[in-house]
Amino acid sequence: MMIRLKIDNKDVEVQENKTILDAAREINIKIPTLCYNKYLKPFGACRMCLVEITGPMLGGRKKLVSSCTYPVQEGLVVSTDSENVKEKRKFIIELYLAQCPDTEEIVKLAEDNGIPVDDESSLDPVGRYLIYRAKRRKHTKCILCNLCVRVCTEVVLRNALSIANRSTNKRVTTPFDSISETCIGCGSCAYLCPTNAITIEEAE
Amino acid sequence: MKLKPSDLDKIAQKMRSVTNLRKGTARIKITVHMGTCGIASGARDILSAFLSCVEEEGVSDVLITTSGCAGLCSREPMATIEAGDKPPVKYVDLTKEKVKRIFKDYVMGGKIVEEYALAIGSERVL
Amino acid sequence: MLCAGTGCVSNRSLEIQTALESELKKYDLQDEIQVVLTGCNGFCSNGPILVVQPDGIFYQMLKVEDIPHLVEEHFLKGRPIEKLMYIPPDKKSPVPKLSDIGFFKKQQLVVLSNRGLIDPENIDEYIAKDGYKALAKVITSMNPDEIIEEIKESGLRGRGGAGFPTGRKWAACRGAPGNEKYIICNADEGDPGAFMDRSIVESDPHAVLEGMLIGAYAIGAANGFVYIRDEYPLALKRIKYAIEKAREYGLLGEGILGTDFNFDLSVNRGAGAFVCGEETSLISSLEGNNPAPRTKPPFPALSGYMGKPTNINNVETWANVPRIINRGAGWFRGIGTESSKGTKVFSIVGKLKNTGLVEVPMGITLREIVYDIGGGILNDKKFKAAQMGGPSGGCIPASLLDLPIDYESLTGAGAIMGSGGMIVMDEDTCMVELARYFLSFTQDESCGKCPPCREGTKHMLDILTGITKGEGREEDIEILETMAKLIKQTAICGLGNTAPNPVLSTIRYFRDEYEAHIKDKRCPARVCKTLIRYTILADKCTGCHICFKNCPSDAITGEAKQIHEIIQDKCIKCGMCFDVCKFDAVRYE
Ligand SMILES: Cc1cc2nc3c(=O)[nH]c(=O)nc-3n(C[C@H](O)[C@H](O)[C@H](O)COP(=O)(O)O)c2cc1C
Ligand code: FES
Repeated sequence: MMIRLKIDNKDVEVQENKTILDAAREINIKIPTLCYNKYLKPFGACRMCLVEITGPMLGGRKKLVSSCTYPVQEGLVVSTDSENVKEKRKFIIELYLAQCPDTEEIVKLAEDNGIPVDDESSLDPVGRYLIYRAKRRKHTKCILCNLCVRVCTEVVLRNALSIANRSTNKRVTTPFDSISETCIGCGSCAYLCPTNAITIEEAE
Repeated sequence: MKLKPSDLDKIAQKMRSVTNLRKGTARIKITVHMGTCGIASGARDILSAFLSCVEEEGVSDVLITTSGCAGLCSREPMATIEAGDKPPVKYVDLTKEKVKRIFKDYVMGGKIVEEYALAIGSERVL
Repeated sequence: MLCAGTGCVSNRSLEIQTALESELKKYDLQDEIQVVLTGCNGFCSNGPILVVQPDGIFYQMLKVEDIPHLVEEHFLKGRPIEKLMYIPPDKKSPVPKLSDIGFFKKQQLVVLSNRGLIDPENIDEYIAKDGYKALAKVITSMNPDEIIEEIKESGLRGRGGAGFPTGRKWAACRGAPGNEKYIICNADEGDPGAFMDRSIVESDPHAVLEGMLIGAYAIGAANGFVYIRDEYPLALKRIKYAIEKAREYGLLGEGILGTDFNFDLSVNRGAGAFVCGEETSLISSLEGNNPAPRTKPPFPALSGYMGKPTNINNVETWANVPRIINRGAGWFRGIGTESSKGTKVFSIVGKLKNTGLVEVPMGITLREIVYDIGGGILNDKKFKAAQMGGPSGGCIPASLLDLPIDYESLTGAGAIMGSGGMIVMDEDTCMVELARYFLSFTQDESCGKCPPCREGTKHMLDILTGITKGEGREEDIEILETMAKLIKQTAICGLGNTAPNPVLSTIRYFRDEYEAHIKDKRCPARVCKTLIRYTILADKCTGCHICFKNCPSDAITGEAKQIHEIIQDKCIKCGMCFDVCKFDAVRYE
């Protein structure tokens, strides 16, 4: 069955099992993503792809949802760049900037989204706090998008990577932190990493 | 035994007659409240104190049973004593010594130990 | 009626009159309560005498100092003061009736109607209290749609937190495509200070099972799970035992009660994380995966356990079901308020005289819970606020003591019904520190999947910690508020959506305390240690040396008989010197 919806005032018709992100891509509307990959199951973690939805099923209310996980519904009205969406997207990027400040890809993302990273005075209080005042944790480039773990589990089927701990101690590692015996060195993880946090070393 | 709907009534009637303090074999029923709160504040000792009272006095018409938390966790250990057709009496903040006295005065003597009793009667069930 | 006979007047009953009238005025009670002077009561030896009508309470030997307390307790809170009452010599302190004791008087039991009355390990006792009668009724005389209609009609809403209408949830799962369906009982109960579900399972496990059986029959599920917190060994043991006994009686398994209805249950132990109580995480944990939430839709009703339609309800929600079926939806609707029907079980803890587990009709006021049921604040201190809904909820300040408790009014006040944890705080509680405490809990329990919850709550926590240490900046309140709203809207699951609530509600009601910490570097409740400073007043110190001897950190100098001093760098702010000083020579600010 085909579903009709509206994205940024454009009509679009897609298969019923598609997500809002799929539908947007069909009509060339760009929604930024970090944890999405079309060959992997949708994960909905990075929150970059948030969009605002409304429609009859919400009784006129507006709601923010991750477009990479939200299934299309008949009559859905989606906005990908309302002020509300931009404000939230900016916040998410600023959180990443505080988490891994030296990561080029994140800084670029911030610049592309109009965050004046180098100009303390033109930031709003939350942005200023996150970029200039927030406590730094130990250096990392990993934003915990899980693409590496997911590709290893879902596509390569080697389970050589896993996630450990929770909260701010969460990290990507090998199962039980030991050298992974199942790794075949395929490099898929490094290839998919959006922040180049994984490097591959040649070994004998 | 696998039950049929009609068996529920039979079990209910049988149970009610066992716990009926006027007609059944038991004259007095002592319920020690043993939720996590009760146990944490010593309900197991209270239960065994009541049991040894029964043994010492050699009585056979006192039924001792356990139940869950009675709600007022700050006054545990707690026990409810029902005698004949009199309204139940709740005793709170129990110790082994208090149990002995309650057993002697109330269970054997029929006199409420006012210092240890919280209240008489039952809660409002809708 | 105040006695103004000669005897009593000579015992200064007219001074009592003035005091009474001015106290009544203070509470605006002068129109409601009249002070009437009477002739001699004939009991002059015990004068001055005051008889309060219509209750006929007889106070004796009153002093002017007794009046403020008397007016507050008796006329304001409706609790006659026994100490001042005349008790006839032959009738000394009779044991009160349970239904007259404040703690029990205002409670109305539906879910807990068997508490303390039956042996939870004896299925026959449950049956003797009409147990499994509702199950027999539905499988012999009702079809699934009728049951769901009855539950919808009753107005029952989920007791696990969000308050979603139970009948509608069941209908969605029943209507979902597929033959293989599951039901789950959420007994993970992770809120600090909450133990409603534990107590229900411990005192009446079969009520939960019966509710689940009725739900399974209505929804068309053949299998179910009880997901129970591992820290609850007694509840775990009792529910397992109950399941075993129910199986023996043919109430679980194949051909239940001789019909062709099949349903069986297994018990799973929770992994111990707060987020596991969230339904999608719980399901993921049941499937053997990492317990992290996932986005909804699809809702579990369509795609839950192993991708199959799944209905998940809280312990208390399930335990309400058999009672509704037995007594009828109309009976249930008769209890509670317009939007919230039935009763709610609360665990009341904190600075209360009586703490424990209470079941009250929806719509009761916070004042009734705190003063009538809880018996008031410990050591007769002032009530400051009650935290409702645990770390996902908010605080209700003294100005809202008369708020009727139901889902909508609590949400409107910035708290939530949550699962029923209620922590009462007195004047000695610092609200900034309270917010910091709850946020540190949720921050630590965040699964870490999405950045707003993982990173955002950590930043908020850092800011709050700074404020409690006197490092706060003026813009911090605004940053906290803005960040809180952003996190609430962008997090994946209920944990992040609600984690900032304690911060928002304390700012809403106690902004002045935040400001005192930030601007004046002062903690009004004297809790935040870095902001307290102990000093010794030179003019009062007698050099008794007792503070010196008691100081655990050797922070006090001074010879006996000379004025002592506190070395601020060494002081750990334990307050020991303050407690031991007999001359009020230690001061803090
Ligand atoms: C962080 C978090 C923790 C939760 N913990 C519990 C819990 O311990 N017990 C519970 O019944 N519901 C809990 N819930 C709510 C469940 O997700 C779910 O809404 C509930 O079990 C549904 O049952 P009900 O409709 O009967 O309330 C929690 C939700 C969140 C977001
Ligand atoms: S791309 Fe949708 S949440 Fe990450």
